Amino acid sequence: MTEPVLEMRGVSKSFGATEALRDVSLRLFPGEIHALVGENGAGKSTLIKAMTGIHQPSAGAILIDGCEVQFRDTGAAQRAGVAAIYQEPMVFPDLSVAENIFISHRDRPRLIDWKAMNDEAEAIIARLGVAIDPRRQAGELTLAEQQSVEIARAISLKVRVLIMDEPSASLSDHEVQRLFGIARALRDEGVAVLYISHRLEEIFALSDRVSVMRDGRHISTRPTAETTQAGLIAEMVGRDMAGRFARMPGQARDEVTLRVTGLSREGAFRDVSFAVRAGEIVCLSGLVGARRTDVALALFGIAPADAGRIELAGQAVAIASPKDAMRLGIAYVSEDRRRMGLALGESIAANITLPALDRYTRAFGWIDRLRELADAADFRRKLNIKAASLTAPAGTLSGGNQQKVMLAKWLNMGPKVLIVDEPTRGIDIGAKAEVHALLRALAGQGVAILVISSDLPEVLSLADRVLVMREGRLAGEFPGETATDEAVMRVAVGAV
Amino acid sequence: MSGGRIPASLRAQLASWEGFLLLVVVLLVLLNALASPFFLTVQNQINLFQLSVEKIIVALVMTFVIINGEIDLSVASVMGLAACAFGWLVQEGMPAGWAIPLVLGIGALCGAFNAVFIVALGLPSLVVTLATLIAFRGMARILVEDRGIGDFPAWFDRLGQQPLAGPFPLALILFAVLTVIAFVILQRTAFGRRVYFIGSSREVAAFSGVDVGRVKAAIFVASGLVSALAGLLYAARVGAVRGDVALGFELDIITIVLLGGVSIFGGVGTITGTLLSILIVLNLRNGMALANITGHIQTGVLGVLLILSVMVPAIRDRARRLFGAREVAR
Amino acid sequence: MFDRIPAQTLRILILLAVFAAVVLFFSAVIEGYLNARLFNRISTSVAIVAMIAVGQAFVVLTRNIDLSVGSVVGCVAYFVGGLLAAWPGMPPVLVVALAVLIGAGFGAVNGLFVARFGLPSIIVTLATLAIFRSVLVESSDGSSITTDRLPAWVPGFAQANAAEIGGLQLRWMVVVALAVVILAHVFLTRFRAGRQFFAIGSNPDAAKFAGIDGARTVFWAFVLSGALAGLAGFMFLSRFGNITVVAGLGFELKSVGAVVVGGVNIFGGSGNVIGVLIGAALIDLIDTSLVRWELVSEFWREAVLGLLILAAVVADTLLSRRLMARRRRMAARQGTVGAEKRA
Repeated sequence: MTEPVLEMRGVSKSFGATEALRDVSLRLFPGEIHALVGENGAGKSTLIKAMTGIHQPSAGAILIDGCEVQFRDTGAAQRAGVAAIYQEPMVFPDLSVAENIFISHRDRPRLIDWKAMNDEAEAIIARLGVAIDPRRQAGELTLAEQQSVEIARAISLKVRVLIMDEPSASLSDHEVQRLFGIARALRDEGVAVLYISHRLEEIFALSDRVSVMRDGRHISTRPTAETTQAGLIAEMVGRDMAGRFARMPGQARDEVTLRVTGLSREGAFRDVSFAVRAGEIVCLSGLVGARRTDVALALFGIAPADAGRIELAGQAVAIASPKDAMRLGIAYVSEDRRRMGLALGESIAANITLPALDRYTRAFGWIDRLRELADAADFRRKLNIKAASLTAPAGTLSGGNQQKVMLAKWLNMGPKVLIVDEPTRGIDIGAKAEVHALLRALAGQGVAILVISSDLPEVLSLADRVLVMREGRLAGEFPGETATDEAVMRVAVGAV
Repeated sequence: MSGGRIPASLRAQLASWEGFLLLVVVLLVLLNALASPFFLTVQNQINLFQLSVEKIIVALVMTFVIINGEIDLSVASVMGLAACAFGWLVQEGMPAGWAIPLVLGIGALCGAFNAVFIVALGLPSLVVTLATLIAFRGMARILVEDRGIGDFPAWFDRLGQQPLAGPFPLALILFAVLTVIAFVILQRTAFGRRVYFIGSSREVAAFSGVDVGRVKAAIFVASGLVSALAGLLYAARVGAVRGDVALGFELDIITIVLLGGVSIFGGVGTITGTLLSILIVLNLRNGMALANITGHIQTGVLGVLLILSVMVPAIRDRARRLFGAREVAR
Repeated sequence: MFDRIPAQTLRILILLAVFAAVVLFFSAVIEGYLNARLFNRISTSVAIVAMIAVGQAFVVLTRNIDLSVGSVVGCVAYFVGGLLAAWPGMPPVLVVALAVLIGAGFGAVNGLFVARFGLPSIIVTLATLAIFRSVLVESSDGSSITTDRLPAWVPGFAQANAAEIGGLQLRWMVVVALAVVILAHVFLTRFRAGRQFFAIGSNPDAAKFAGIDGARTVFWAFVLSGALAGLAGFMFLSRFGNITVVAGLGFELKSVGAVVVGGVNIFGGSGNVIGVLIGAALIDLIDTSLVRWELVSEFWREAVLGLLILAAVVADTLLSRRLMARRRRMAARQGTVGAEKRA
C-alpha cells in the first residue's frame, strides 16, 4: 500500500481560549485529488496554515513520507514540497512572470541568468497548458493567469502536496475548466492535490476522495463516488437540512419598481433587460464570470452603464455615482465584504447609520446619538445580531454577524430597491435561514429585491423569478415555482 | 496610509491610552511644580502655552488630517509663508487690517493646492506635501529673501504679546476656542464621523455614499487656513518675520498628534488625546528648559518619545496575538 | 512604438531629454554657462547627492522612506572631522571605513525599529532625524569643524582628479559615486538578493508566503542607506570643510526628490538607480544653475525644487496610469483571443 505523502496525526491548534483544530487526522496520498469541505469556521483555513508552516500545531504531529517534521516557517514547508495557492493570488506585480516563479528558490545561483530563467519558466508554464510570456509583468496578468503563475511556482519547487484554497471563486467558466485540467495533470504526475471549495458541483466533478470538517474536527473521509450532496451537507452541518429549502408564497405587487432596458457596459455586459416589481424577489443566477455583479455595479453607480435605460417607478433616471443611486432609493449589499462592507474599526451603530447619516444630523452637523443607538438596537433585534454592545467596533463580530450588520446598514436607508450580492456566502446555515426570512419579510413590505446568488438551492427557494445570465447577457428566465436545478444550470452553461 | 490592522476592542485600548496620558500629565505637572514654586502660577502656565501656541493650534487640525488617513508635511512651510507674506504686504504698504484676511486666504489656497494633487489626481499625500513643504518655504524665501521684516503696527504687536481678556493673550484664547470647536466637529458631527470612516476604510466610505473627495479637500484647506493663522500669530508674538519662520515645526506637530494616540494608519484618535499630548509635551519642554537642555536636544527627546508612542501599540498588538485574542473575523 | 520599449528605459530616455532641455535652456539665458569650470563644480556636488539618493532608493524600493539621511550625513561629517582634527595622522582608508561604518550603524538603528519592530518608517526616520541631529549638537557643544583643522589630504580629495580631458576634470569623488551607482544597478538587476528589494516593495504580504525574509531585506536597505549616507558624509567633509551643527540639513528632501524624479515608485517595487542618478543630477543642476541666473534671485531655488518634484510625481503617475491601462486593455484583448484558440 502506498504511504501517504503528508499526514496530519491528531493535530490540534488553539489560539488562546479558542480551539480552531481538535485532534484532526488526515492523510494525503500521492496522485490523488482530495477535496476538503466544511462550513466557515470549520477549521479548514487553520489546517492549511498548519500544513504550510504559517502556524505551528499546539498538539499532534505532521508527517512527510512517514517521518515527523516541524515546519517553523513557510520556507520549511516549501522545502518539504508543500505549497498552497489561495483565492487572492500572491504574486509580485512589478516582477516578471519568470521572476515570480523562481523567487522562492534558495538553490539558484546568486547571479541571475535571465535567458535561462525565462526558458525554464516557459517550459514549466507549457506543462500547465497555458500560454503566458514569462517576460511579462505579473501585475498585467488576469487573475486566472496569476493563479497559473503561482501554480507554476509550486511546480518549480517540486511540489508534492499542492493545496488549493477556494481557487475557482473568481474565475470564469473557461478558466475554471483550465484549472481543473491543471489539477488533473498534477495528479497524474503524482502530486497530492488538496482542493478546498464550497461548491459541491466542483467537488463531484474533480475529486477522488472527499473529507468533511466541522467545528475544528475531522468528520469523515470517503471516495467521492461513494458520497452524495445531501450526505455531505448533512455531515458539514451536523443536522438534517432536508427541509431547509422550502418555498414560500410570493408577495409580488402589480407596480414595477425597477425596469432596466437594453443596459450595456463595454467589456462587461450587453443588452440586459428585466423588471422587478414591488415585493418581488428576482434572483440573478449564473456561473462566475456571467457578469452579474457588473449589472449591480451599474445599477448602484459604481461602474455606470454606457447604454440603456433605467426606470424607477416609471421615471427614467441617470445613475452616475453611489450617491445618485442612494438618493433614488437603491441599496447595494456587496459580495466584496472587505472593500465594500464595514469599517471594522468603527462602532456597529455608526456603521449601520452611515448611508443614512443625514437623517441623524441636526443643526450644525450634530449627530443625534440617542436616535442612532435606538435604531441600531432595533436592527439588532430584528436581525438577531449577536452583539453585546452596539458601540463596540464592528470588527469584533463574527463573519455572519458582520453580514447582518451590512444588511442592517442598507436596510436602514429604507431602500425601494435592494440589491444583494451573494448574501449568504461564507456564513453558516443557521444565519442563512435568518437572512432568507428577512428578505422575504422585506418583500412583504413592498421592497423590490434583486438577489445575485451562485447558490442554486438558495435561488430556487427564494426567487419569484429566476433570471440566468451567461457571459454578460441574459440567457434565460424562469418562474420561481417551476424552475429546477437542471434547467437553470443548462441555461447557465449554455448547453443546448 | 489608510486602512490598517484592527485589534479587538480598539476603543478600550484607546481609552486606556488616554488614561495613561492623563497619568503622565499629572506626573509631569507634579514634578515641575516640585522643581519650582512658580510653576503653578497663572502667569507661568500662560507662558508655557504661549511659547508653543502656534504649534499646538496646528496640532488640532493635524489631528483631523491624520485620522483621515493622510498627512500634511507642509504645515510649517505654510506658517512661514503666511508670516512672510504678511510681512511683505505690510512692508509694501498694505494696511495690516487688510493683509490679515488676505494672508488667511493664501493659507487656504495653499491647502487647496495640496488638495488638487491629493484629491483630484490621487497622488499620495506624503509625496505631495513633501514637495509643497519645499515649494511653500521657497516662496516664503522669495518674498523675504535673507532679510527680516519687523515693522508691524503697534496694535498687531500688542495682540500678539499682551493679554487680551484678563491675563490671557489672544493666541491662547484662540487655542481654547479652536480646541472646543475641533472637539465638537470631529467627535460630535456628521463631518467628523465621515472623517473617521474615510480613515478607517476609504472604499467602504465611498461606496456608502460619502463624498470622500470633498471631505479630504475640506481638511486640507482647513489645514492651510489654520497654519496661516498660526503663522500670523507667530509674527505678532515675535514681532518680526524671517525666511526660516517655523522651520522644522512639522516634526513637533506630528509628534504631538501621534503621541496623543492618533494612529498613522488613520481611523483612530481623539482631540482629547491630542490635548493631553499637548500638555505632556509642553510640560516636558518646560522641564527640560529649566534643566538647561537646549532646543535641539529637546527635539531629540521628542523623537525618542515619538518612537515609544508607536512602539507601545505595536508591542501591545503582539502581546494580544501571542496571548490569544480572537482573530478579528472578516 | 512606445509600447515596445520597456517602461524603465522609456523613463530614462525622458529624463535624459529633460536634462538636455534644461542644459540648453540655461545655456541660452546665462552667459558662458557651458564651460568646463561649471561641470567641475557641479559634478562633485552631484556626486554627493547621488550617493545619498542611491541609498534612499534601496529604502524606497522596499516601500519605506528614510528621512534621517541628512542628519546622518551631518553627524558623520562632524565625527570624522573631529577625529581627524584630533588625530591628523589617521590613515585615509581607516577614515573612510569609519565613515561608512558609523553611517551603517545609524542605518541599523532605523532598520531595527522598522524591520524588527514593524514600525512605520516615516515615523521612525522622522524621529531619528531629530535624535541623530540632537546627538550631533550635544557632542559638538556648538563648535564647528573648520578646514584648517583638517589634514590637507581631506580637502585635497575633493579636488583630486582621476582624469582630465580638455578643461573637464573627472574628480575622484565623481568616479566613486559613479562606481556606487553602477554597482548598485548591477546588484539590483542581476543578483537574486537585489531582486528581493523589489519583491518586498511590490507585495510585502506575498513575501511571507513566498518564503522571503522581508524583515532582513528591509533591515539591510536601511543599513545600506546609512552606509552610503556615511560615505557621502565623508565626501561632504572633504568638499565643504566647514561643518556646523546644521550640516546635511536638506539632503533628505533632495534625496527623496532625486529618487522620485528618477522614476522609483514611491510605493516601492519598481525603479532604476540610473534614473536616480539622472534625477539627482537634474535637481542639483537646476539648483546650482538658478544661482547663476541673474534674472532670478537665488531665493527661488527651494520653490523651484519643490515644484519640480511635484511635477515629476504628477508626470510619473499620469504616465504610468495611462501605460498600465493601455497594456491591460491590450492584454485583455490578446488573452481572450488566446483562450479561444486553445479551447
